[in-house]
Amino acid sequence: MRRKWIPFLLILPAVLYLAVLMGYPLFETFRLAFTSNEGFFGNFRRLMESGEFWNAMKNTLLLTAVIVPAQLILALGLAFFVNWKFRGYTMILYFIAIPLALSDVTAALMSYTIFSPNGYLNKVLMSLNLIERPLYFFGYMFKAREFWVIALTEIWRATPLVFIIILAGLQSINREYLEAADLFGFSRWKKFTKIILPLLKPSIMSALLLRTLFAFQIFGVVWLLAGRDIPVLAGETYYWYTFMNDPKMASAYALVIALVTIIVSWFYITFLRAKHLEGAR
Amino acid sequence: MRKWLLFMVILAVVGVVFGKVNFASTQMTPAAEREFMLNKLAEFSKSSGIDVEFLNFEYPQLFSRLQAEIRAGRTTLNLVADLQGNLYIMASEGLLSDLKDLKFEGKTFIETLEKFAYVNGEKIFVPWLQATYVMAVNKKAFDYLPRGLSRDDVIKGTEKWTYEALLEWAKNIYEKTGQPLLGFPIGPKGLWHRFLHGYIYPSFTGAQALKFDSVRAVEMWNYLKELFKYVHPASSTWDGMADPLLREEVWIAWDHTARLKPAIVEKPDAFVAVPVPRGPMGRGYIIVLVGLAIPKGADFEEPAKVIDYLTSSEMQVEILKNVGFFPVVQEAVGAVPEGALKVLAEGVINQSATKDSVVSFIPSLGPKSGEFTETYRMAFTRIVFQGEDPAKVVKELGERIRWMFKETGAELPEPDASLF
Repeated sequence: MRRKWIPFLLILPAVLYLAVLMGYPLFETFRLAFTSNEGFFGNFRRLMESGEFWNAMKNTLLLTAVIVPAQLILALGLAFFVNWKFRGYTMILYFIAIPLALSDVTAALMSYTIFSPNGYLNKVLMSLNLIERPLYFFGYMFKAREFWVIALTEIWRATPLVFIIILAGLQSINREYLEAADLFGFSRWKKFTKIILPLLKPSIMSALLLRTLFAFQIFGVVWLLAGRDIPVLAGETYYWYTFMNDPKMASAYALVIALVTIIVSWFYITFLRAKHLEGAR
Repeated sequence: MRKWLLFMVILAVVGVVFGKVNFASTQMTPAAEREFMLNKLAEFSKSSGIDVEFLNFEYPQLFSRLQAEIRAGRTTLNLVADLQGNLYIMASEGLLSDLKDLKFEGKTFIETLEKFAYVNGEKIFVPWLQATYVMAVNKKAFDYLPRGLSRDDVIKGTEKWTYEALLEWAKNIYEKTGQPLLGFPIGPKGLWHRFLHGYIYPSFTGAQALKFDSVRAVEMWNYLKELFKYVHPASSTWDGMADPLLREEVWIAWDHTARLKPAIVEKPDAFVAVPVPRGPMGRGYIIVLVGLAIPKGADFEEPAKVIDYLTSSEMQVEILKNVGFFPVVQEAVGAVPEGALKVLAEGVINQSATKDSVVSFIPSLGPKSGEFTETYRMAFTRIVFQGEDPAKVVKELGERIRWMFKETGAELPEPDASLF
């Protein structure tokens, strides 16, 4: 009889941890999001009617659309490059992996020291007499430049994650397939499209899924570099909570982010399933 | 160790009960400021023989403690320092003595500030500290003054120093140098919202919040739209104006004195601190005012001596040097040593001495304070940066502003309160 309880006792700490640190906040978020003076959906109605929400949605999608593909292409290129295993490739590997150790706040501050009015870039350009006054990359009047600085920072910061996943995928590809392909006289392109890519698909998919989900939660870099010049969903959540002192609206925003990420994950899992794995099930 | 602790506890209890002056303050709470106060009060105790216990409180605790003491008829706290808004609330609950008959020899309190110490004919506090926001001007800008505006007009804040004149000036600088050299702290941590609700709104409409969506407010927004053609485009990234002033990215800037101070300390000869311009309804500006009050039922004699000491010229100058609050006593201004502080103090005093002052106090909206300031910033962003129609925007947001006062039951701030 006692034996029956042992497994439950063993997972109890984990269950408690999840309930207290995940379950309760989640429940509270739902409760807050659906309480308002204007009825059950009051907060959501207010959210939909405000221009800021759609603006934040648009910016979040735009940033995701720019950052994620750029990261994927860059990471693929870097992974193939490192996978040649030339002399000293480990050095390059470490070099690429450096940003993995940085928080988004650190990355944003580093980027600010480069692009700020008295930052490195302006100092260099001024000492070379290429410009007379500092170039401004930040501020409401320079939204487009802000956008690209954010994209650049975010690409630099998070590409290594995609790179590591893809490199691991590459290195797990069985060499025998490629040797066989050589025997049959495949061209390089054919090898790439018919063997490597299909086998890489699971890694690419997990990398894409991870990055897209994180891209929807982009916050630190945007908040530090652009404040609310370029509103994004997570930034608005923070804004409503701290500046406007309105946890209900903040919860509504948080739930919208959750909903969007769920839809995106579902989309990936449905449409990007690795075909060759289907038969194995 | 245990004995030592017990001894300290006993000492603290005894101190509170038998100390001559128990001075409760919501100000000077940061460690460095508190230490400064303790040293100064110790000096006072040595020379006067009056013991002063300096006790730091948060406003809600202080309020309930005073209420409890006065209800019980046992006043142990016999001197209080707090922001003027909080003192008004204490006075309206009948917790403060009338200080009308307290006279201090040889000092002249600045008239503008003295005025706010009275509630229903009773004098509820003696002004102690003030802080405000002024404009800092790089002396180079005076070479580009528009016609009809002199350097003296700006420094003294005469009736010619208007928002229209500021526009002409900024425009003139822009046309002659090719640079927009006027700047504001519009960054995320900048104090831009204070300029909007406490400076330009009262200057154009005579009120901070009540006239938010009036015809004059729309005129004001149209003025700002025009002015922003000559405002430095990086303003929206600046949290404080000291660096842009030092880098000469701007020549004319508005900010809190504490945030302008670093620039003036670095180059006291390059800058002047000047009063803000005036609008059609007067010269609107914010004063943060700290007053000293004596609770009901306390004896005046000893607390009055402490008040006398705290408002003496020497002490007022010491506070300015160490803490950055400005004097409230005319005589103290002459005692400020040459240099950066003098430059700043002159600007502050000139501003508070202008005849057309419209003094604004920051409204105390508690949990809605954030939304209040954000609403002004939102209106600005939508009208000036996004080019929306001002009449439409203020109509939309004005409702919300009035609702905040209703929701929190907050008192209307000056100058709005005086409109009735």
